[in-house]
Amino acid sequence: MTDFRKSAFAAVLGMALSSSALVPMAIAADDTIKVGVLHSLSGTMAISETTLKDAMLMLIDEQNKKGGLLGKKLEAVVVDPASDWPLFAEKARELISTNEVSAVFGCWTSVSRKSVLPVFQELNSVLFYPVQYEGEESQRNVFYTGAAPNQQAIPAVDYLLKEESVKRWVLAGTDYVYPRTTNKILEAYLKSKGVADEDIMINYTPFGHSDWQTIVADIKNFGSAGKKTAVVSTINGDANVPFYKELANQGIEASDIPVVAFSVGEEELAGLDTGPLVGHLAAWNYFQSVEADANAKFIETWKARVGEKRVTNDPMEAHYIGFNMWVKAVEKAGTTESDAVIDALVGVEVPNLTGGTSVMLKNHHITKPVLIGEIQSDGQFEVVFETEGLVPGDAWSDFLPESKPLVADWTDPVNCGNYNTETKSCGGAAIQ
Amino acid sequence: MTILLRAIFAAILLFSSLHQAGADEAELRTIIAKFASVKKFTDTQSVINELAQSADAAAVPALKALADGELNILKSDGTVVITRKEGDGFVYSDPLSGETLGTAGKSDFRKVKIKNSIRRSIGGLLSSLTLGSTDPTVRLQAAEALFSKADPDALAQLDAAIADETSGDVRERMLQARAATVLAGDNDPEAKLQAIAVVSGRGDRKALAVLNAFAANENAELVAARQAAIDRVNDALASWQAVQNIWYGLSLGSVLLLAAIGLAITFGVMGVINMAHGEMVMLGAYTTFVVQEIIRTGYPGMFDYSLAIALPLAFLVAGAVGFALERGLIRHLYGRPLETLLATWGVSLILQQAVRSIFGPTNREVGNPSWMSGAYEVGGLVITANRLWIVVFCLVVFVTLLFVLKRTRFGLQMRAVTQNRAMASSMGIRTPMVDALTFALGSGIAGIAGVALSQIDNVSPNLGQGYIIDSFMVVVFGGVGNLWGTLVGAFTLGVANKFLEPYAGAVLAKILMLVFIILFIQRRPRGLFALRGRAVET
Amino acid sequence: MISRFLFTGADRKVFWTIIVLLAVAVLVPALNLLLPTDHPFHVPNQIVSLVGKYLTYAMLALALDLVWGYCGILSLGHGAFFALGGYAMGMYLMRQIGTRGVYGNPVLPDFMVFLDWDRLPWFWYGFDQFWFASLMAIAVPGLLAFAFGWLAFRSRVTGVYLSIITQALTYALLLAFFRNEMGFGGNNGLTDFKDILGFSVQADGTRAALFAASAIALALFLALCLFITDSKLGKVMVAVRDAESRLRFVGYRVEHVKLFAFVVSAMMAGVAGALYVPQVGIINPGEFAPANSIEVVIWAAVGGRGTLVGPILGAIAVNGGKSYFTAAFPEFWLFALGGLFVAVTLFLPKGIVGSISSFRGRMNTQSALRSQKIADMEAAE
Repeated sequence: MTDFRKSAFAAVLGMALSSSALVPMAIAADDTIKVGVLHSLSGTMAISETTLKDAMLMLIDEQNKKGGLLGKKLEAVVVDPASDWPLFAEKARELISTNEVSAVFGCWTSVSRKSVLPVFQELNSVLFYPVQYEGEESQRNVFYTGAAPNQQAIPAVDYLLKEESVKRWVLAGTDYVYPRTTNKILEAYLKSKGVADEDIMINYTPFGHSDWQTIVADIKNFGSAGKKTAVVSTINGDANVPFYKELANQGIEASDIPVVAFSVGEEELAGLDTGPLVGHLAAWNYFQSVEADANAKFIETWKARVGEKRVTNDPMEAHYIGFNMWVKAVEKAGTTESDAVIDALVGVEVPNLTGGTSVMLKNHHITKPVLIGEIQSDGQFEVVFETEGLVPGDAWSDFLPESKPLVADWTDPVNCGNYNTETKSCGGAAIQ
Repeated sequence: MTILLRAIFAAILLFSSLHQAGADEAELRTIIAKFASVKKFTDTQSVINELAQSADAAAVPALKALADGELNILKSDGTVVITRKEGDGFVYSDPLSGETLGTAGKSDFRKVKIKNSIRRSIGGLLSSLTLGSTDPTVRLQAAEALFSKADPDALAQLDAAIADETSGDVRERMLQARAATVLAGDNDPEAKLQAIAVVSGRGDRKALAVLNAFAANENAELVAARQAAIDRVNDALASWQAVQNIWYGLSLGSVLLLAAIGLAITFGVMGVINMAHGEMVMLGAYTTFVVQEIIRTGYPGMFDYSLAIALPLAFLVAGAVGFALERGLIRHLYGRPLETLLATWGVSLILQQAVRSIFGPTNREVGNPSWMSGAYEVGGLVITANRLWIVVFCLVVFVTLLFVLKRTRFGLQMRAVTQNRAMASSMGIRTPMVDALTFALGSGIAGIAGVALSQIDNVSPNLGQGYIIDSFMVVVFGGVGNLWGTLVGAFTLGVANKFLEPYAGAVLAKILMLVFIILFIQRRPRGLFALRGRAVET
Repeated sequence: MISRFLFTGADRKVFWTIIVLLAVAVLVPALNLLLPTDHPFHVPNQIVSLVGKYLTYAMLALALDLVWGYCGILSLGHGAFFALGGYAMGMYLMRQIGTRGVYGNPVLPDFMVFLDWDRLPWFWYGFDQFWFASLMAIAVPGLLAFAFGWLAFRSRVTGVYLSIITQALTYALLLAFFRNEMGFGGNNGLTDFKDILGFSVQADGTRAALFAASAIALALFLALCLFITDSKLGKVMVAVRDAESRLRFVGYRVEHVKLFAFVVSAMMAGVAGALYVPQVGIINPGEFAPANSIEVVIWAAVGGRGTLVGPILGAIAVNGGKSYFTAAFPEFWLFALGGLFVAVTLFLPKGIVGSISSFRGRMNTQSALRSQKIADMEAAE
């Protein structure tokens, strides 16, 4: 035992020493271009983010098969920020300064993005953020390839107003910034459409809420006022499965009280028996079921890589668009140097997976189609509505008084993320 | 649910073969064939409208299939067929005769797309078409659907159906549906007054919805009657509300108890601060997943028995892991309870990552067997089947465990070892083996808790993390080392939480419960049911 | 006093650690700021911010060890005090943003503008002053610890019961701070900081200064803990840990001793949190997570419970390991970390430092030649 203890002790000590001398000096390999992948592979967000890491690795491999970029091979640098927000900042710094990556694709939650923002700003690198989010932000170093609220929430509510003549609204969400913002925008929007105060019920639950009995019963009560009722759900990830299970068991059917969700995609449904949920809705910019050649090819490559049973989803498409935009911008700029790439990115057009062409706008958001799909019994969505043409992402919502006068424009002469059109000046988020 | 649907379907088939009264078959066939050429949802709707006009019950199977997404078009020749999944392929059959035409793969078909509004209109149409079905359950459902729909046009049809109806129950429902229809239509106030009485007699939420939707602005008497009826229904519902809250509380308590009961053994009885407890629950849930996956691919007919098969397996899997954990790790740490915290925390990280590596990080689908789906309505009380079974199950587990501890030789040895190890040892009890088996028992019970929790929650690598803190709270609140304490603690916390939730909201209710536990421990530093005696001091 | 440090072995180790910390406080910022980036002895910015963060973790581990290692109170909620200190500093940093927030409101932080708060809530008053925020970073954790400890220790809540209710405390705070109605920014917490005391938080100089401040604070805490544990009170604390009932029968007011240790420890954790926030640039309710507090216990256990240098080493080693593994083996690092915890409990029950001491103790009884080797090892250390 003693001998064993000694050797174990030596091993532990060795581990401690090697880790204190961590961050090996970056060997600047000139023959590859490095791309950082900053998605949680453990902790609470691993459930959503791991797929995006796999998608990035696939995109990078595919690009290398096409001959790489600027005559060099691309190399993915994967780190695990472990769903720990300060660790996101640490890992971002490590990717940029130690691994010298040219661009980073990553983050899911708003708080993780907020945590890494100052790092990208300070070290002047590029981040592609692939998830639908609350807007009210535009940063020079960040490119938002997910949906802004006007690319998801507003069209979905419009659909319910028009197609289902919904009169009463339940806005149910997890208590964090995305649902709060979305619900605030929706509340203002619904009131502008003449919906009365007493016909809107807003409810917030904590992350990972698993006991939905009371809330689902409340929704049922709210729905028995004799007016057509719908639920707009901004419930986040993990809490959705027990929520939908409770809905199904309490017998809330889509034809009575439809639920339209903004955070439930194919990946979330994979953990559910969707039989009783047929007809509930989701609004996204991409569904796996969309029939388009690019999509068919993407799904085929994906399944060949990770397995027949895995599904694709909207944030994966956002990475697909973002990555291709970055590739194009780098080719256009002829370099991976951040300033040149940031300038080159605005105006870049690439095909998306739904058969259209997305453009990177001056506010660092992109144009996307808005699709509304109904859940099918096989866990997929069937598109029942699609906007005509693509919707440009709006960083600052027009339905909120404080952000109404703000616009983002990262081209000369404005060059500002929150330019106030009333005072003709750049607000506080100016980088200079 | 599926069994019920099949029964309805069979009944409809039988029924449709008997009644060939409406339009003739050839005409129906041409209408249905039009589904092949629909481009937009409005086209689909107009075909359905044509079917509605024909009012022929022979169209029921086709409509049913359309609503279920099983009405497809054969890509090769554009025939409209009903498909049924069988193995990897699909069997397709004629929408009118039901005659099997062949089998094909998924890519050979094009689905007739529908959306909610179409689904609703199919639902309405089906209910009026099946109002004259031979099967009383189908008629009952049709009447229920017509009640909620309250379509003024259905009045004559309902009157006819009521006249023919033989079953009292169904007749009552039909009368209620008729009343709702009367309220929605353009009828004289006298009839509407009677209708209000009939509708409010139901006293449930659906009645409330119908009453609320009824705009009685033309007549003061009607306005008053409507308001009185609404108040009456609301009063009735309010008194049910308290019962409903107790039920919710019991149901939440049963979940807490299930999550905590294994910990009551490993932590409560053995004193091991077992941070890997949640992962044992997770292992149980994943065992259920694996069992269901095997059944899905190999023996789909056995699906309803999947939980019964998963239970012993989950007990064995989690128990075996627990046994290995005790033999390999925890036995070296007895007498140093706080170090078990460190080691089991490490084990929990390893188990989480292992499951993530094997099964992937995403949620896995665990289905509800048919007997755990749906809900029962008892008066104003809605009891969902899965929650009911979980309450029953947790009580069974509790009683069994109590029996094992108090009435079996192993339980006696276990108590002896935990109370006085040296004495037990000198009486010839193999204390190390008893320790290992006790830990395995606690872990195994956590495993079967995982089977139950897989029915209501995510099956993901994070499953255990969500329950570990609550479990410790329950065990400590109830009093370490006392199973009854755990039982009372879990149900007290569950019910109190559910009574607070409507007033304070879900988050604040939980915070208040935690503050309550902190303050309660000040009053009773050893929990609700404190163990007395010397063992407590260590 | 100094002479006494040099006499006993344990004290000597602490003394040297303090010297090393002070040297690091001067050297690292100097090597970071003064040398050109391509110089072989240049310390990169990233190391400065990383090690600066570890130093605040080390403070937290030391604070926990004072109550756990020396007084036998296993707190599973020390992260709460750390986070409260962090929030106090975060509130100061938020107020410093001024009109540079995205909505340009001179008084209200962005998230309040956004959630329609029309005026600053009362508990945000005063946080525009650095001295007030610093005071609060110490006072709020101290007061909470006092209130909690006063209740718990007087009622003689001990052992696992105490551990679990400290966990309940931090869990309740986690849920409370998640609520957007609380006025602390909800899940996103406080972020987007600009200046501290007029210096940009992103400037190299500020980072180096914060690093130096963390190292010096840690050195001071180490001295403080040494002073406490070496005093008569310290001996009573150890007695509380080893035989609480006996001490009570002898006539000591055990609850007062515990309360003292708990409050001092909470205040130290608060300072650690206040230094942590400007270095990582964000404070959010995640810091209250019970898992974080458990991790702190693990740092202390890995380093060596009941020693003063141990928790510091443990915090740096575990976090260094985490930083390294999450980049080197992103898919498998939890196996390594989990395995480390299991291995430490099985093979190094006294932690790294405790095991070195007993190892050395055994060796010393052997030949003089061997002890010479140990001395070499010591020098290398």
